[in-house]
Amino acid sequence: MSANTQFPLCQLPIGATGRVCHLAGDDSFCQRVREMGFGEAALVTKISGTTTSLCLVNGTRIALNHSAAMSIVVEPIPVLGQVSGLREKR
Amino acid sequence: MKLPSHITSTARRRAESASDRTPIYAMVGNPNSGKTTLFNALTGLRQKVGNYPGVTVEKKIGTTWSQHGKPIQVIDLPGAYSLAARSPDEAVLRDVLFGRREDTPQPDRIICVVDAANLERNLYLVHQILDLGRPVIVALNMMDMAAAAGLKVDAAALERALGVPVIPCEAVHGKGLVGLRLAMSRVELPLARHRWDVPAAVAPAVAELQASLTDNEGRAPLVARAEALLLLTDFDTVRVAGSRPLSARTHEILGNWRQRWESAGTDWAATLIRSRYDSIGGLCQDVVVRTREQGPSRSDRIDAVLCHSFWGWVVFGAIMTALLFSIFSLAEGPMDWIESQTTALKGLVNGAMAAGDLRALLTEGIIGGVGPIIKFLPQILILFFFVGLLENTGYMARAAFIMDRPMSKVGLNGRSFIPLLGSYACAIPGIMATRTIENAKDRLVTILVAPLMSCSARLPVYLLMIATLLPGDAVSAGKKAGLMLLMYALGTFGAFGFAWLFKRTLFKSAPPHMIMELPPYQPPRLREILRQMLGRAWLFLKNAGTIILAISIVLWALTTYPKHPDPAATPTEQIAHSFAGQAGHLLEPVIKPLGFDWRIGIGLITSFAAREVFVSSMGVIFGVAGADENPTPLRDALRAARWPDGAPLFTPLVCLVLMIYYVFAMQCMSTVAVVKRETNSWRWPLFQIFYMTGTAWLFCFVVYQMGRSLGY
Ligand SMILES: Nc1nc2c(ncn2[C@@H]2O[C@H](COP(=O)(O)OP(=O)(O)OP(=O)(O)O)[C@@H](O)[C@H]2O)c(=O)[nH]1
Ligand SMILES: [Mg+2]
Repeated sequence: MSANTQFPLCQLPIGATGRVCHLAGDDSFCQRVREMGFGEAALVTKISGTTTSLCLVNGTRIALNHSAAMSIVVEPIPVLGQVSGLREKR
Repeated sequence: MKLPSHITSTARRRAESASDRTPIYAMVGNPNSGKTTLFNALTGLRQKVGNYPGVTVEKKIGTTWSQHGKPIQVIDLPGAYSLAARSPDEAVLRDVLFGRREDTPQPDRIICVVDAANLERNLYLVHQILDLGRPVIVALNMMDMAAAAGLKVDAAALERALGVPVIPCEAVHGKGLVGLRLAMSRVELPLARHRWDVPAAVAPAVAELQASLTDNEGRAPLVARAEALLLLTDFDTVRVAGSRPLSARTHEILGNWRQRWESAGTDWAATLIRSRYDSIGGLCQDVVVRTREQGPSRSDRIDAVLCHSFWGWVVFGAIMTALLFSIFSLAEGPMDWIESQTTALKGLVNGAMAAGDLRALLTEGIIGGVGPIIKFLPQILILFFFVGLLENTGYMARAAFIMDRPMSKVGLNGRSFIPLLGSYACAIPGIMATRTIENAKDRLVTILVAPLMSCSARLPVYLLMIATLLPGDAVSAGKKAGLMLLMYALGTFGAFGFAWLFKRTLFKSAPPHMIMELPPYQPPRLREILRQMLGRAWLFLKNAGTIILAISIVLWALTTYPKHPDPAATPTEQIAHSFAGQAGHLLEPVIKPLGFDWRIGIGLITSFAAREVFVSSMGVIFGVAGADENPTPLRDALRAARWPDGAPLFTPLVCLVLMIYYVFAMQCMSTVAVVKRETNSWRWPLFQIFYMTGTAWLFCFVVYQMGRSLGY
């Protein structure tokens, strides 16, 4: 899987980390997601869940239902240590 | 930000007047940041605290004392992530802060309660609050959690950066209260050194709205500016009853600007949020130091199991089973003790007084009515112990997580499950808790089905029926718990079924997005749980001592008068002749197909006040038969009851049908009143009475007639 593929958050495997690329969904949902610090460029780690996802964002656990997780598009980050390198590449 | 002179002078004037007027502080912050814990510690009140977001859903005013013994008013508010409210509970916070609530004074000062373990996100709301230009104190709460997460938060640095007092606290351990009270006692508080420029392109809109808000709504200039910023980014403004609406002029300006941006395709909301987060990010760099690398925390490891798609369910099922089982096994002893005491008391009164109406009132009306209810106190305590445990540890939010999938099958999401779970204790707080639901249709559906969850008032009815159905000690607690589980399951499936139906018919809408924070696990605080249990026990006893007592006395009178012309009439003949008996007879044709006679009918009528009244009514009606010399437990009296043709009244089938009736029927005045208030109309409570009681009748009819034809 190349680091440039983007897919909805619900497809992120458990234990993997991704970066939020963009938000789909209605305006008020996007606004709240951003206000919770879950907006573009935030790093998110999936803890568990298949239809309902449990994610770690900025040290908080956030639960999202399937439709919410579908509206958050992420790109995977292979290893957490490479985060800074990826950021420079962008 | 340099403040214009007219603003600083109003601030000074306000500060001056604060010395002779009681200052009003508002507690604001993200959900679950510890506002209520702090509020309780300051005011000595005992508002409900729990480890999940959305515990407080209505404002609460309390009084505390300054360092110099002067009174200070404090308003506890629901938590919110942003002033741009998405749900009714968040709207309460917004409307109180902006002075839109008619019943609440506008607070002059604000305490921002901030979760230090999650500073960046918590500061977002603080950032919006600082725009209001009112004096702010930041309570940097949960310092212990931050330290446990490997974060060093520098309160002094934050204070320097923001220019307002920042007090590190641990509300739950009472730390930092002295400092907070000291800050609150200051006559003058510095205004924030808050540098944040509204992006240039949005500035004209802000200015125009601000002017209109000042002129038409009478807002102070800075409040008007903050409100203008908010209105521009608020997509669908959630309104709650009791809030003043916007003036027509403001509304018009707002509409114009929104339209203009929509056609230009710019996303101002996102820009504004980003610019706030940028400013916060810069701030946090100097304030938060990570002392060790962040790995999965203890809560994350627990969640890997408790939120697992298989193990999560196993644990959830185990907890529910343990709850029901302990209701039967642990409560047995105390229950028997209470029962023997009431029986002894009855005997005592019987022995000490001459036979007559007064003695009958005491033994049959008062002891006979209230005694059977008090007997269930141990079970209520156990139920609330479990509920307290779930709320305290943080499992509540996990239950919502696990239940999201089944809830989505009926068109709701996991968020609706917290109010439903709360309704197992009592539908009233459950219905209040629906304020945390963002989608109005989902909220209404949740309100409509919440009373189907078996609440604690049904417990006495179920228990009495199970005791009548499965007599004596020969039956294991497991079997009784199984039957009880069946009733709980029936109510729960009923709620899901109706939610599904309503979402398909009355309230069609796409399944809304759910985004919910799961708090870190906390060790259960037994003192807090005990306090909540005692609170509930007290409420239960108070109810028994007032409403149920009153109903019992009235019912006793209604069953005693008018007197049967024949003084030698049996107690049953007497009741049949009385007012209550006549009412029961009127109802009998409707309920006979369910296997109920007119005496049960009396109980159905009286228990409309509250379900547990059914038990006390049965105590008054059937207790009389064996009341005279050797009183028997109520369940034996029920088992001895007969139809006129001599057939037993409370057959196992009838007991089962009665339980089913109480699972579904809407038999609670207080719930009706709360639904009326929360939905702001009579339509929904009336609809609820109709559909629930209708279902109860139909379901019971089918079960009874089928049972009869099968020979039961
Ligand atoms: N470890 C720790 N826990 C705390 C502290 N302050 C509060 N808590 C716990 O945090 C949880 C939430 O507290 P509440 O006071 O109900 O929070 P709230 O802000 O009123 O929450 P909402 O009403 O839902 O917005 C409870 O379990 C408290 O016991 C603290 O300083 N340290
Ligand atoms: Mg609270």
